[in-house]
Amino acid sequence: MIRAIPTCAAALLAGACFTLPAFAQSAGWTPPGPITLMIGFAAGGGADTQARLVAQGIEDATGWTVLPQQVTGNSGLTLAQQLRDAPADGSVIGMIVSETLAYNAVRVGNPDLQASNFTPLATTAAFQLGLVAMANGDFASWEAVEAAHEAGRPIRLGTATERQADMAYHLGLGSGIEFNIVQVQGGSEIMNGLRAGDLDLGWVAGAQASAVAGGEMVNVASGIPTPLAESPDAPTIRELGSNFYLDGYFMFVAPAGIPDEAREALSGAIASVVQNPQTEAGALIARNFGGASVLTGEALDAYLQAAVEDSVRLIDTVR
Amino acid sequence: MDYILMGIGAVFGGPELFALGGIGIPAAPAMLFLGLLTGIAVGATPGLAGPMAMAVSLPILISIFGVRPDALLPVFGFLIGIMKGATVGGAVPAVLFNIPGTPDAFMTTLDGYPMTRRGMPKRALKIAHLSSVSGDTLSDIALFVCAPFLAVLVERFLDLPEKTALILLSLTFIAAVMGSSVGKGLIAIGLGMLAAMVATGQDFHPRLALGVDALSHGFPMVSAVLGILILGEIFWTLDDHWRGRVSRDATEATDAGPDGLRKGDVRRILPHILRSSLIGTVIGALPGVGSTLAATLGYTWGRRVHAKRKTPEQAAFGEGAPEGIAATEAANSAVSGANLIPVLSLGIPGNAAAVFLILAADSIGGFNPGPGVFTFSHPQINPELVVAFGIFTLMALGNLLNWTIGGVFMRAMGIMSRVPIRYLLPVVLLVTLTAIYVQDPRLGALWTAFGFGVLGYLFRCLRIPHLPFVIAFILAGSLENAARQAFSATGGDPFFLFSSWVSTAFMLMAIATVFLAGRAPGERRG
Repeated sequence: MIRAIPTCAAALLAGACFTLPAFAQSAGWTPPGPITLMIGFAAGGGADTQARLVAQGIEDATGWTVLPQQVTGNSGLTLAQQLRDAPADGSVIGMIVSETLAYNAVRVGNPDLQASNFTPLATTAAFQLGLVAMANGDFASWEAVEAAHEAGRPIRLGTATERQADMAYHLGLGSGIEFNIVQVQGGSEIMNGLRAGDLDLGWVAGAQASAVAGGEMVNVASGIPTPLAESPDAPTIRELGSNFYLDGYFMFVAPAGIPDEAREALSGAIASVVQNPQTEAGALIARNFGGASVLTGEALDAYLQAAVEDSVRLIDTVR
Repeated sequence: MDYILMGIGAVFGGPELFALGGIGIPAAPAMLFLGLLTGIAVGATPGLAGPMAMAVSLPILISIFGVRPDALLPVFGFLIGIMKGATVGGAVPAVLFNIPGTPDAFMTTLDGYPMTRRGMPKRALKIAHLSSVSGDTLSDIALFVCAPFLAVLVERFLDLPEKTALILLSLTFIAAVMGSSVGKGLIAIGLGMLAAMVATGQDFHPRLALGVDALSHGFPMVSAVLGILILGEIFWTLDDHWRGRVSRDATEATDAGPDGLRKGDVRRILPHILRSSLIGTVIGALPGVGSTLAATLGYTWGRRVHAKRKTPEQAAFGEGAPEGIAATEAANSAVSGANLIPVLSLGIPGNAAAVFLILAADSIGGFNPGPGVFTFSHPQINPELVVAFGIFTLMALGNLLNWTIGGVFMRAMGIMSRVPIRYLLPVVLLVTLTAIYVQDPRLGALWTAFGFGVLGYLFRCLRIPHLPFVIAFILAGSLENAARQAFSATGGDPFFLFSSWVSTAFMLMAIATVFLAGRAPGERRG
């Protein structure tokens, strides 16, 4: 008993020094069993890899067991539906993008799927969203896109989500270029489509980084308010005629009503894995997104609320 | 070239399974070895087949290795081992007891068993082994050469409408060549696609779920596939057993005298091996045409040639000719490698074994069989291509093992054909259900499997082929995506399937397949 006191004190001290990493070890919460991690992304893509590496990182750091499981479909809403019905004790979490609970939930209107039914845990990375094309192709700059449009050439724009499709349409309205909008199943499939010549342009949310750095692809335009890490000079879509950005985060969520200590422990564990470039997950995020962007707790609640309001406006504008 | 080295490196440099005398044994080759032994044993057991063993072991493998990218090669290693082992093992009971261990070994009984009765079981088995492994090796070489080439060709020349038309053509072809009639094949394809439609698609609401909560997640793929393939087969065998339609009498004694390969044997069978390997490879590369057809073709062709050339003292086909065994075994083994050509280059599975390789890739993630695999991207590394070359390495290694220890192990497996069916079936059932539960620990998954098992049983009763159902179930998603994308990429052209001459040609070929196959009814089994 007495020996435990210095240990506790050390733990508290460590907690004070390294708030985030220490959550995982010191919060006193342990999961009731293996944690199921639902992954809302197609197997093998960049987001899927990120989720699995985070799971591995959590296992290595905490000794918990994390079982990744693919729950794809309906742009993350299949996952949301299953997660909502899962036990709210920290034993089931999911990885989605913020737009699942913002744009998608608003769009579908099902009260079960709204953001209030979930506890956001932590974001891992902000979209480095660019409008991507092959570097040696006919659409390697916005001027080239405009020229192709004026020449009467149909332009195929690959999108991976409903929101991206709406934004492609909205950008088309704003810039006067009508795109043939092709829905595919994720950023890596868009990149494969570009390589194969099936697509001319496509939204990619970060997986394009190494292809852009290697000179294979280019960011024709940026979809986020901050400059893209790989192409700081790319024009933003707002400069090209859009009223909105296509920003967002990759994030982990749990069902509503999980205990506070579980939320803290899980958020802390995720944050410490992704912020540490020594972990495989941290290294991947650093490579693809220029570093982790972690929001937790109230900051995350506020971001999600704002994203929901933006989505309502986008849907109104497009309809 | 770098990719080939990386693929080899990935196989041997993978995670260690265990350490032996301080030297780590990499997991992938070790699993390949175990898979090969399992495959030979399974192939040698009548009533069990390679795909069955692959199906059952897949969920168990995934629970052992997890779903990380580095699990891909060990899992593929085991599955490829089973595939290769079963091809070789199938000849054992055919030669020794006149019972084909796998359906495609039926032709092997015709000459193998007479040889055994004349006191030459070892010679017959050695010839079977030699031909089988040669056929397999030649077919693998065709795969290594053709798959990347074909994939690159497809990516370069086929646009979205053409890809849609190609999948449609493959499905039609599968419907036409598998089973007893084109109509039944098409029914199986249609039902498979219908089942795959449930709760998929791009809409935010689960499609065709009829408001039932259990349906709103769709049918889990492993439960559905295992249900149709294995539970259906078990129900059917039980039914057979009750009605006494089968009597398995495996009590035939063999008189194994001093025998073995004779001088000149290899030279005698070599032309047959080469011819049959070619037949098997060509047949294997077509999706949906099984090894049974290859074996039949190889055998009949071989018989014709042999009848013309044989010297009077040589045995004719059907009377214990080593050439007969060689012609059959080389043909049916050559199917297995070539069958992966459409899988790796197009993502289209051609047979049950390929179905499980796709399922494995799908469950683990990080590898999506299809033309995208063979993108030689620079300077960044395409990890899928490394996996593909890793698979090739495993296959080459599997052949090497098959050449060396496969024969020895194969001859020891004669005992497996004496396991009575009343012990075998419950074990298979138990292992299958465990495997499904391991993969998807919900009771609902077991109910799904039972439901699909009953469906599989009904299919067998009505003589509707079940493999087209499974293949359609797996391909439906790709077909729908391709069609959707082609439709929107052409700016909403409803006749996108006829927008270019290539896709029009594919569509005409699909229609022609149905008509031609429908007009010439006959015994065709996949």
